[in-house]
This record gives sequence, C-alpha cells and structure tokens, in this order.
Amino acid sequence: MGFSVSGSAAIVFAGMFIAFGMFHTATTNGFERVSEAQEDRTDRTLAQQNTAIDVTSATWNTTSRTLTVTVNNTGAEPLAVSDVDLLADNSYQSGYNTSVDGDRDTDLWLSQEQLTITVTEINDDPGRVKVVSGTGVADTATTTEVI
Amino acid sequence: MAGVSASHLIIFIASMMVAASVVGVFTDSVGQLSDAISEQGVDVSSDVRSDIEIISDSGSDAIYNADGNENITLHVKNTGTLQLPARADRLDIFVDGAYQTDAEVTLVGGAEVWGAGDVVRVDISEPLDPGDHRVKIVVNGDEEVFEFRT
Repeated sequence: MGFSVSGSAAIVFAGMFIAFGMFHTATTNGFERVSEAQEDRTDRTLAQQNTAIDVTSATWNTTSRTLTVTVNNTGAEPLAVSDVDLLADNSYQSGYNTSVDGDRDTDLWLSQEQLTITVTEINDDPGRVKVVSGTGVADTATTTEVI
Repeated sequence: MAGVSASHLIIFIASMMVAASVVGVFTDSVGQLSDAISEQGVDVSSDVRSDIEIISDSGSDAIYNADGNENITLHVKNTGTLQLPARADRLDIFVDGAYQTDAEVTLVGGAEVWGAGDVVRVDISEPLDPGDHRVKIVVNGDEEVFEFRT
C-alpha cells in the first residue's frame, strides 16, 4: 500500500514538474515578445515627439512647370529623405529630385537642415502640397506661382 | 500470504495507471494552455508593432472625386515596424460608420510590400452627399480616423 501511494505521488509530481516547465516557457516567451514590442513603440513615440518639420516655401514655376518645395527639419530627430512622402493636391508623388542643403546624394536629413524637393512630372499648379516625414509628422502649404 | 501480495500488486498497478492518467490529462491541458498563451503573445506583439497614419491632405478638394467616378482616395502610411498586408480584405474600412467592401488598395512609390515607411493608396467607391464625412481604417487593431469635407 505504501509503495502505491509513493509511486503515484512520484508520477504526479513528475507530471506537474513537466507541466510547469511547459507553462513557464510559454509565458516567458510571450512576455518577452510583448515587452520588446512595447519598447519598440516607446522608441517610435519618442522619435515622433522629437520630429518637427516646417514647409518654408512651395513654388510653382509656370515657365519650367516645376514644383519646388523647401522644408526645414525643425525638430531634434534625424530623418531619412527616402521616407519622406510628398502629396500634391492629394496626389502621391514619386521620382522627384531631392537635396539636403545642396547635397543631392545624401539620405540623411538632419536637424536644422533644409530639404528641397523638385518635382517636374506635374503639368498644372497643384495649389497645395503636403510633406510627410517618416515618423508620420506632416506639414502642409499652399503653392505660390512664379514665372 | 501469496494472496495478499497479489492483491497488493494489483492495487499498485492500478494506482500507477490512475496516476499516469491524471498526469496525462493534466499535462495535455497545460500544453494547450501554453500554446494559447504563446499565440496570444504573438498576436499582442504584432498589434503593438502595427501603426498606420492616414497622410492624405484633408484640405484638398481631390479627396472625393465628385465629378468623376465618385470615389474617395486616401493615402495610408505604415508608421509601425511590422509589414502589413496591402489587401483590401485585410483592412476594415468604414465611411460615415458604414462598413465598406468595395475598396481597392494599391502600393505607391515603387514599393513591393507594405513595409515600414511605405504608403498605399486606398480607393473607396462610395457616393457621398456634400458635407462633412469621416473615414475609419482599421488594420491589425490599429484604428485611424480621417475627416474631410465634400
């Protein structure tokens, strides 16, 4: 009788040990995954809070039919030129030329630097533009016509 | 004496079998619970990593094409860190509270997938009366509302 109780107890304890191991692994992995995602979101929010852009001018040259938009990075976050989106009267633009303080090759748009976007693929004055940074912070402006 | 030993042996085997059965059921239940917790961790993680912004210019007259095919054109940017499905059936779209099924999602800017920083154009076919309107887009639990005037 003693062996039966001891043997059964041993099997039950071994089973509980295995079950706890499985449960612990699953909860730890899940907790780590969620913690990493939350840290990631905190970093994203911080970057978003540190981002500020200001469209200083948007001009439509009626002679060369060129739209030129200049935007200042007035925040503290370094931005990527490739992540910048330009909407001209809600029409998404791509294939335009960019330069940061005269540098056409750089992808970095650092704090207090000016980004110049030159669009040649529009036929008419769009009237208004919207520039969106990689973090989602945006600024709008109306265009002024120059000859 | 031999009878007592035999009965003890039978009781011992029976108790072992009962204990093994209990442990089997218990570990199986805990295993299923662990799988569910793991899946929930993955789901919550992807929800937290998903983030979108409707970047369309709300002041533009070109949001709603009143003179043409009467559709709403919105641009949605993936501002999270997770690649999102650029398919209309994976986005929940509401216009003035009504769920929309006639929508088209197109990647713009030369992107092949809707990764971080990429933009999609959402065309929603919905005739609207002149006035104020709102569009809500939900993807992976992240909701964005866009208000405009026609």
